[in-house]
Amino acid sequence: MSKLPVDVGIIYEGERIRKANMYADLAGPKSKGAELLKVVAASKVKDGSVTVIGPDLKDMKEGSAYPFGVSIEVSGKKLEEDLEGVFERRIHDFMNYIQGMMHLNSRDIIWCRISKEANKAGLGLNHVGQAMVDLFKAEFDVIEKIQVTFYTDDKKIDKFLKDARAAYEKRDAKVRGLKDEDVDTFYGCLLCQSFAPKHVCTITPSRTSSCGSITWFEGRAAVKVDPKGPIFAVEKGEVIDLEKGEYSGINEMTVERSNGEVERVYLHSLFDYPHTSCGCFEAIGFYIPEVDGIGVVHRDFRGVTPFGIPFSTMAGQVGGGVQSEGFQGMAIEYMRSSKFFAADGGWQRTVWMPKALKDRIGNDIPEDVRDKIATEEEATDLDSLKAFLKEKNHPVVARWKEAVQASADGGIAVSQFEMPVAGVPMAGGGMTIIFKNAKIYAEKVIIKRNDK
Amino acid sequence: MIIAVSGKGGTGKTVVASFLVKILSKEGDLLAIDADPDANLADTLGIETKKTIGTVREELMRDRDKLPPTQSWRQKLEYDVMGATIETDTFDLLVMGRPEGQGCYCPLNHVLREIIDTVAKNYDFVIIDAEAGLEHLSRRTTQDVDVMLVVTDPSKRGVTTAQRIKELAEHLEINFKGLYLIANRTTKESEKKMSDYAKEVGLEVIGTIPEDEKVRKFDFEGRPLIEIEDSKALNAVEKIVKKLVKQ
Ligand code: SF4
Repeated sequence: MSKLPVDVGIIYEGERIRKANMYADLAGPKSKGAELLKVVAASKVKDGSVTVIGPDLKDMKEGSAYPFGVSIEVSGKKLEEDLEGVFERRIHDFMNYIQGMMHLNSRDIIWCRISKEANKAGLGLNHVGQAMVDLFKAEFDVIEKIQVTFYTDDKKIDKFLKDARAAYEKRDAKVRGLKDEDVDTFYGCLLCQSFAPKHVCTITPSRTSSCGSITWFEGRAAVKVDPKGPIFAVEKGEVIDLEKGEYSGINEMTVERSNGEVERVYLHSLFDYPHTSCGCFEAIGFYIPEVDGIGVVHRDFRGVTPFGIPFSTMAGQVGGGVQSEGFQGMAIEYMRSSKFFAADGGWQRTVWMPKALKDRIGNDIPEDVRDKIATEEEATDLDSLKAFLKEKNHPVVARWKEAVQASADGGIAVSQFEMPVAGVPMAGGGMTIIFKNAKIYAEKVIIKRNDK
Repeated sequence: MIIAVSGKGGTGKTVVASFLVKILSKEGDLLAIDADPDANLADTLGIETKKTIGTVREELMRDRDKLPPTQSWRQKLEYDVMGATIETDTFDLLVMGRPEGQGCYCPLNHVLREIIDTVAKNYDFVIIDAEAGLEHLSRRTTQDVDVMLVVTDPSKRGVTTAQRIKELAEHLEINFKGLYLIANRTTKESEKKMSDYAKEVGLEVIGTIPEDEKVRKFDFEGRPLIEIEDSKALNAVEKIVKKLVKQ
């Protein structure tokens, strides 16, 4: 570690600099700024160099806010572009290690502050840069060369900001495409066990937590901040069924955290072993046996689902941390996942959702089914839903035909209650029977209409 | 030192909190937390509020799925809490605002608590103006409270309220090192009676605050109490501070 006018160490993390003790604000709500770390060719890096474009700290006016751009370029034989984001997030930690310097957030919404004492001690941006060079090299062996450029000039920072934003966008696009199979570690969350003692959320790149708050990235960030907290890392283990989303590591973890109550979990199916539902999910995915399709209703929707019941009633029935086959508490964001109930047919099987939700998801609904999904405007009960689907020739309609075919052939295998009953017209309203934890075996099931 | 001031509305709780801020901000770095949406500590401190933590939370809830996937909302929340901190030359203030609306806020509240706990560590004194029902504390605005002061009017009912707050705090597992009673608007004879009542139920009266013309006048005119320079009530709170800091 080079000699700096102030201390550098992990004990300064969390240091807040009060306005009363502030020398200067860098970036923050009153100015602009960004930070960007790039992996570049070795020939482009002058190892250890720190450049300041614009005024250095000592030339700033006390009590003012200045723009602040942090550009870090690294090179190394083993470095890949994918590591940029991982490294970049460490800027936050490392700047906070510097005594008398505060750093908040990341990307282009950063806020740094320098204390009066640090200024008095003679801290300059060259020192801050030096600390970055030392800390990055100490932490990551793979970084062979590193150089730092700071922008504090109001005009000259603009091009850097533009470049940084373009780089984030590129990175985000990549991240959005991240799937369960691309990572080895998933995350679990136990926060809701206070009211749903058997519930544990499994958070994967393709499955945001039920409450919608914890994405896989957020989970990773949370574990870093507090490794012993309610959010924890789980090795996903062996892939038992990729499509259904069953993993040995997740099954083991669930058994342990649910006190043996829940033994298996399919992350991407409503059937057999669906993910448990706590109570604070953003939406509910539900199977509608009468049309052999899937509906989704979100918390803000005040009307009724085709079942004739509103969100709140349904939520009361499925919550509490148990597996309720055919129902699942979920995040709205999950509908943007490429694995959205993938094992059950995903969007091709989705038949109903409130209009507000449909508008919100909008273009993320595959175009071929978008217009075939009913909302409360087209379907308020099962009859109108069925009519609508038939009229639009929704993909599920083909399943009805198959089902009728199967029963005509005589005898079909009944896999619990998900038997399509499309061939049996229900009287208005109808009835839903939910079997919980039931296994029914039958040679043959005959359902007859009771014609008097 | 984290001091929570609680008590029913109209008992002078916010008067005590404001004077504590005034007195202790001269002794060290101080953070005031307005955790009673019906009391307006900010007003009595003469501060125009900008954003409450409640608003920050609502906005995050609303915009959460618009955040870029690599932007952690935890870190964004840290930034926003800093942005919502009102910074004066002598102390900082956080206004908690209304409790949440629809939806699940558990992860947000959990993270907020972590953030506020970390922030609070940077101050020598944290003064929380808490509701009587301790709602904010039960939602864990902060983890630990060193001293809980319960302000009551001079009546047996006031002592019962204090007793209930004590039980509630214990039930909520809010760890505090001391819980004391402050009797407000006392007269000579009620002073004695209050401390007797308190003793009966195992509570200690740490101080009494006399009826104060100046406070009433400032209150009536809507002037910030923190501007009061010399008054009976202020002197009384000063005495209480001396006792507290000595411990
Ligand atoms: S719903 Fe959210 S808070 Fe609750 S356990 Fe899941 S991730 Fe945690």
